Amino acid sequence: MIAAAAFYVFSAIMLAAATMVVTARNPVHSVLFLILAFFNAAALFLLAGAEFLAMILVIVYVGAVAVLFLFVVMMLDINFVQFREGFQRYAPIGATVGAVLLIELTMVLTGWRFLPEAPQWRSAPIPANISNTAALAEQLYTHNILLFQLAGLLLLVAMIGAIVLTLRERRMPRRQIIRVQLEREVRDTLEILQVPIFAGTDEIGIRMRKAISEDRGEAAHEGAESPMLAASHAQSETEGH
Amino acid sequence: MAAFFQTPLGELVRIVLQTLAILVPLLLAVAYATWAERKVLAAIQLRKGPNVVGAFGLLQPFADALKMLMKETIIPAGANRVLFLLAPIVSLTLALMAWAVVPVNDGWAVANINVGILYLFAISSLGVYGIIIAGWASNSKYAFLGALRSAAQMVSYEVAIGFVIVTVLLCAGSLNLNDIVLAQKHIWFCVPLLPMFVIFFISGLAETNRSPFDLPEGESEIVAGFFVEYSALAFALFFLGEYANMLLMSAMTTILFLGGWLPPLNIAPFTWLPGPLWFILKLFACLFVFFWARATFPRYRYDQLMRLGWKVFLPASLGWLVLTAAVLLATGWAPHGA
Amino acid sequence: MSAVVMNWIVALPELVLAVCGMAILLLGVAQKRENPLLASMLSIGALVLAGVLVVSGSRGQGYEGQLISDAFSTFLAVLILVGAALAIMLSLEYNQLQRIYRFEFPVLIVFAAVGMMVMVKATNLMSLYLGLELQSLAIYVLAAFARDDLRSAEAGLKYFVLGCLASGLLLYGISLVYGFSGSMDFARLSRAFATPASVSAGLVVGMVFVLAGLAFKVSVVPFHMWTPDVYEGAPTPVTTFIATAPKVAAMGLLLRTMIVPFGHLLAQWQQLVVLVSIASMVLGALGAIGQVNIKRLMAYSAIGHMGYALIGLAAGTEAGVRGVLIYLLVYMVMSAGAFAVILAMRRRGMAVEAIADLAGLSSTDPALALLMTIFMFSLAGIPPLSGFFGKFYVFLAAVQAGQWTLAIIGVLTSVVGAYYYIRIVKVMYFDEPAARFDVRHPAISIAGGATALFTVLFLAIAGPFISAADLAAKALFG
Repeated sequence: MIAAAAFYVFSAIMLAAATMVVTARNPVHSVLFLILAFFNAAALFLLAGAEFLAMILVIVYVGAVAVLFLFVVMMLDINFVQFREGFQRYAPIGATVGAVLLIELTMVLTGWRFLPEAPQWRSAPIPANISNTAALAEQLYTHNILLFQLAGLLLLVAMIGAIVLTLRERRMPRRQIIRVQLEREVRDTLEILQVPIFAGTDEIGIRMRKAISEDRGEAAHEGAESPMLAASHAQSETEGH
Repeated sequence: MAAFFQTPLGELVRIVLQTLAILVPLLLAVAYATWAERKVLAAIQLRKGPNVVGAFGLLQPFADALKMLMKETIIPAGANRVLFLLAPIVSLTLALMAWAVVPVNDGWAVANINVGILYLFAISSLGVYGIIIAGWASNSKYAFLGALRSAAQMVSYEVAIGFVIVTVLLCAGSLNLNDIVLAQKHIWFCVPLLPMFVIFFISGLAETNRSPFDLPEGESEIVAGFFVEYSALAFALFFLGEYANMLLMSAMTTILFLGGWLPPLNIAPFTWLPGPLWFILKLFACLFVFFWARATFPRYRYDQLMRLGWKVFLPASLGWLVLTAAVLLATGWAPHGA
Repeated sequence: MSAVVMNWIVALPELVLAVCGMAILLLGVAQKRENPLLASMLSIGALVLAGVLVVSGSRGQGYEGQLISDAFSTFLAVLILVGAALAIMLSLEYNQLQRIYRFEFPVLIVFAAVGMMVMVKATNLMSLYLGLELQSLAIYVLAAFARDDLRSAEAGLKYFVLGCLASGLLLYGISLVYGFSGSMDFARLSRAFATPASVSAGLVVGMVFVLAGLAFKVSVVPFHMWTPDVYEGAPTPVTTFIATAPKVAAMGLLLRTMIVPFGHLLAQWQQLVVLVSIASMVLGALGAIGQVNIKRLMAYSAIGHMGYALIGLAAGTEAGVRGVLIYLLVYMVMSAGAFAVILAMRRRGMAVEAIADLAGLSSTDPALALLMTIFMFSLAGIPPLSGFFGKFYVFLAAVQAGQWTLAIIGVLTSVVGAYYYIRIVKVMYFDEPAARFDVRHPAISIAGGATALFTVLFLAIAGPFISAADLAAKALFG
């Protein structure tokens, strides 16, 4: 009885949240309602005894996917009023198509007849002596290993695609190469000079201003005249090509 | 009495009592964690720390709480009121919710569920919402920057944490936290899985937005990040949430790697201490490292943080996961759990 | 339930190809100085290796009935691998000159080939879908590969959005079929549909959605809208690829899906396929007439040719399937050849695509003009060339199955279509010469020459191909 009540409560909230996802004016609110819908879906999984699926739903969809969604939606700068204008203009067409589809589907549903074997083929009962997590694993990794691997390959292709289409090699002014940093020693960067009293930089051979201007420009190839220059030279070599 | 607890009403009462039994000490621990942090930092920096309110400043947390309560809760004009107030509540609630499955002794958990570790992981991965909602609802540039930073950061480090957890699962053969602790009867997982232990703890620092990964806060660059607009009680909730999260991370470390309530060796002097005490000791040891890290390390730069997460921890944990699986399979040590 | 065996060896070519693809990817990433030539050569090597494994590999069901390796899949897989290898070969010069010379290009083609091979081997709606998506996703990316070119990005996006719609239709159809029948396994579905009483309206609607989703992938009317834009916008080597291997794979998938699980519903889908076929032939013939861009012209030509190929499916007989297979073979080779010539169209390093650019080619580059003439005549279906035999076998099957209307309309649209193919020949031989094209890359000469030889000599060498197609068709009906 309690389970049934919980089922209806979660389902009702989920449906309401799903409706709000579509109708909310603010896209950020839409995403937040989507998250609420996910939670209730997870709760329904729990009620069905699929605790593993419930947790994975929360971890993957709420914990990662929806965060990225939210991230993107918050950063988007879209004029939603403009969106609505188009929506109103095309609404009659969309509604007509939707209505036709709905009528067709009701016609299909009135002819609702399953194959006689369907219920038996569809059900995959959990073997008695293992938990549903283990049963799920067996389905995924043993019986459907091909599909699992193909899906993995699909994700790999998606990843390659995202990188190919968006990654641009930037000429960053300062690119960190950890190895070079770690291999640097004190004597590469610092020189201790005995500076006589009242001697200026010119007297001891350091031309500070030049060093600074060289640092901003291209690498100083005419050789290191001062420790500062040597340091800037080392820096520019780490930048990679 | 026992019969009463069998009835539906009695069960409800029992659950409420159990919840209180974990929540009250937890909130107390959170309060004193703030005090402990200030003391530890002070000691490391050769200062005294709080020492005025009560003996050794012991009443300081309560004084702070009282101060927060008395202040005015300011809601910025452009803020989204509902979400603005929801964010700190989410933050603290999530941190407290997770404790429902934490076993402090054999079988001592409010809910000893089958997929406890997944539950913990799920809850800890939700922590980001408090921050991202706060940042967005504040309608302030700094807050939003902080929120974006934390969203990217937490999602990145969750990946590494996930792989670490899977490795532990391989060795324990169960998703149940109680069973995971019992699987460490002979040897704590921090010994055979030392690299994963380190990765987990560092990712834990990032996941709780603690120094040296406290970029979402970044007080020197983005003022206070996601909670720059918060004041009074709302701020206090965030504050408590952060410490509760630290405690939770410490508890997870304890359970996954440090043998939970088990004594280091199952011989006389160690077995004198009861299990829960061992658990609390280990938890505080972890917590101390959190404070220690804060006092020691400078803040990471953002690209370095991402590099560490994606280019170091992710491949390392993935590699170790494969290695662990291979070793378990080759030696036949793999547990045949449920 | 004889199929509950793993028999993983059935997918050996796919496994090897996928592993090779990943290895080439890793190599490409690890290389300090990017060298796409090496990756391309290795990819072609991997495709050849997979081809050897396909031909010599073991036959039978595998993966608990999700995959099958039979004469049908072997025939098509070899075609696919040849198409993919040709596309990589033809891409070498173009990519270098267009500054899209990157090692991911051949890798994506290799993964697309894996997807396509799964498609022709799939005997389960789930493996069918995953193979199809793997292929499609790789091709979406390839279509947008010249990412700084607005047209390429547009082509990729358009293809992606419409492709998602098609996938949605397909999935919806699959879910309906699964819901009403309780199975996604081809063998089970086939057995279930054997008794006409068990077929409900829901199943038929599901099947129609599946048909619609697959029709998108073979670009037939009314799901052809993306074709001209994608053909025109995508980098030409990618267009070459889209025009060859994926067409073969999608058509093969369509054949197997319609004949094996839905074979007993012939009466339900035959009329649909006939309609789609007629509409495609007519649109292909009429739409191409006004085109000035040769890639767009090839797109309309492709729509028309897929319409012809569908005639064989509409016949619903073994001879019809054999006709489709021969058609695919012939079409793939001649359209690859035609695209090789299109790839040779470049002046001062810039690719040109207008039909007018071919003007007077016979005097500036007689060899190229001859190649193009062969391909155009073959596409038009002029007798001694291979294109004629493709059409001949499907028309024959249609007549044998009593589909006279289809055959007659096919012949009529062929006559209309011949107009625009021959117009190109006229432009090349009788118009004032335009400026001469750049020197051709040897890869283009080799590919163009080989495909032209095949097209011309098909009459002489057809025997083994036809018997292979025969075997393949038998496997589907066996």
